[in-house]
Amino acid sequence: MTEKTQLFQFAGERPAEKTEAEKKKKWYQDRPVAAELFLGLLVLSCLFCGQIMTKDPSYMDLKNCSVMPCREFLFGTDTMGRDIFSMIWYGGRISLAIGLLSTLISTVIAVLFGAVSGCAPAWLDALLMRLTEIFLSVPNLLLVIFLLAAAGKSNVITISAVIGMTSWTSIAKVVRTEVRQIRNSEYVIASRCMGGSFFYILWHHLAPNFFSSIMFMVVMNIRSAIVAESTLSFMGIGLPLEVISWGSMLSLSEKALMTKAWWIIMIPGVFLIVTLLSFTSIGNYLRKQANRKQRNL
Amino acid sequence: MEHEILLDVRHLTHIFPLSRKTAVKAVDDVSFQIRRGEIFGLVGESGSGKSTAARCVMNIYQPYAGQIYYKGIDTCDRGQFRKNKKMLQTTRQMIFQDSGSSLNQKMKVRDIIEEPMRVQKIRPLRGSYEEEARFQMKYVGLDPEYLKKYPGELSGGQRQRVAIARALTMEPELLVADEPIASLDASIQAQIVNLFRHLQKEHGFSFLFIAHDLDMVEFLCDRVGVMYHGKLVETGPARAVFENPLHPYTKALIAAIPIPDPRRERARAVPDFSNTEFSRTGTLREVEKDHFVLMEGGDAG
Repeated sequence: MTEKTQLFQFAGERPAEKTEAEKKKKWYQDRPVAAELFLGLLVLSCLFCGQIMTKDPSYMDLKNCSVMPCREFLFGTDTMGRDIFSMIWYGGRISLAIGLLSTLISTVIAVLFGAVSGCAPAWLDALLMRLTEIFLSVPNLLLVIFLLAAAGKSNVITISAVIGMTSWTSIAKVVRTEVRQIRNSEYVIASRCMGGSFFYILWHHLAPNFFSSIMFMVVMNIRSAIVAESTLSFMGIGLPLEVISWGSMLSLSEKALMTKAWWIIMIPGVFLIVTLLSFTSIGNYLRKQANRKQRNL
Repeated sequence: MEHEILLDVRHLTHIFPLSRKTAVKAVDDVSFQIRRGEIFGLVGESGSGKSTAARCVMNIYQPYAGQIYYKGIDTCDRGQFRKNKKMLQTTRQMIFQDSGSSLNQKMKVRDIIEEPMRVQKIRPLRGSYEEEARFQMKYVGLDPEYLKKYPGELSGGQRQRVAIARALTMEPELLVADEPIASLDASIQAQIVNLFRHLQKEHGFSFLFIAHDLDMVEFLCDRVGVMYHGKLVETGPARAVFENPLHPYTKALIAAIPIPDPRRERARAVPDFSNTEFSRTGTLREVEKDHFVLMEGGDAG
């Protein structure tokens, strides 16, 4: 008898302090502050690179080839005598633009494809999803190389389009699963009864519901698009050498390695890696947020 | 034109395929009419096909067989539906059972109420969208302050009022309510039913009211139809059906209504129908004026 009462008391004694503590949390706790700060600064300085750059990033100063970082050339110069400090900001523009543009393209394709597949009857859904899987099973880089070869001379737009067109599959699968879950909920049926069109329902009812679950993947897509661009440029099939991006800067690396000029690789490399890490941590943060919200429902 | 028929359902049949060989006949050869300005109640146990019939009426399901005439338009015919799409979508409105899932949790009450007007791009009667939303909120007995909230912050009764307000923004001529009070508790049920009565008197819309609560149906409806396993077994004026039930299933249903007096209720012998299979064959025959019962053999009349 006493045991029982004790057990009950024990069960009833659960304190509610935890939520209290959560309220007192400072705004910066649990947030990837460093990543947000770095990305914010990076975007700002890339946007206003005209004010920051000390030199013309494309001017080849042949008197100063492969100069160590010093007062005049803060990050040194590359094998063709271009100022790396100026190139970082100028090239960051291109890299980030490619990241954002190709993510935009891939997200639009993924949402449309996923929503159509999610709303479609079973046979069409199966067909579309098998197509996606076939697409997914072809190595991404191979597909990009083929498409780039077909596109001819590459510039920022074609590269973004090609990267975007090859990286939508996983998001489309998530969108399709989410849409399939909510397409028969009564508010979607109600909206259809009112005469809401496919795109109206997609934008007003479906998108807000799957937005949080694809946010992580979208942010990760920016990251992988930047990586893809630098990989391609490094291999010499991406942007031409005279278009400055972090990738094309890295593509000078084999020459730089022979001249022992570490800064030519290290500096764009470090910027690239820190940017990618920032995107990753922001993506992780968004995923945690989405999961927490779902828990609270 | 008091007895003009607004909705005419003829031999409606709907089948849900389960696999290639088996299928469920959810609605089996159901016919009924709803006149202008009338409340028609559809009752029956769960799984008897009431909701499926309602969804066929609202064009959510394409029926397997049969016709549904709304204002003389065959709504199941794709061509005719497309031609009158806007009229059909504005003058017929639906209220769902679970207000929790029929309102998008991520939209504010204001956006929910304005949604049909925005979708149909109609000019609201009371000036702006917001004015109309405020008016409808007051009309269904909610403080317009709630417009800023999310449905998750409202109680079940309040949410159902929001759903009603959303349907009323279009000034419907036919309101289909699919068990609108089933998920509410008794006091809120009474409020909502009174609200329906009041609104119906003010607006004069026709009302297809689906419920399994017989008391509410008797209180609210002018005519009722009783469904059993996809068949309409009895239909007629509410008073005639409740006072003089003729089909055995209707008798069983009405016998099962509890009496709100514990002493009498306990003493009462409720016949056990749980294992009884009622007959579902025969044709609807008119036994008295407007009162039809499913019966074996014989000619109508």
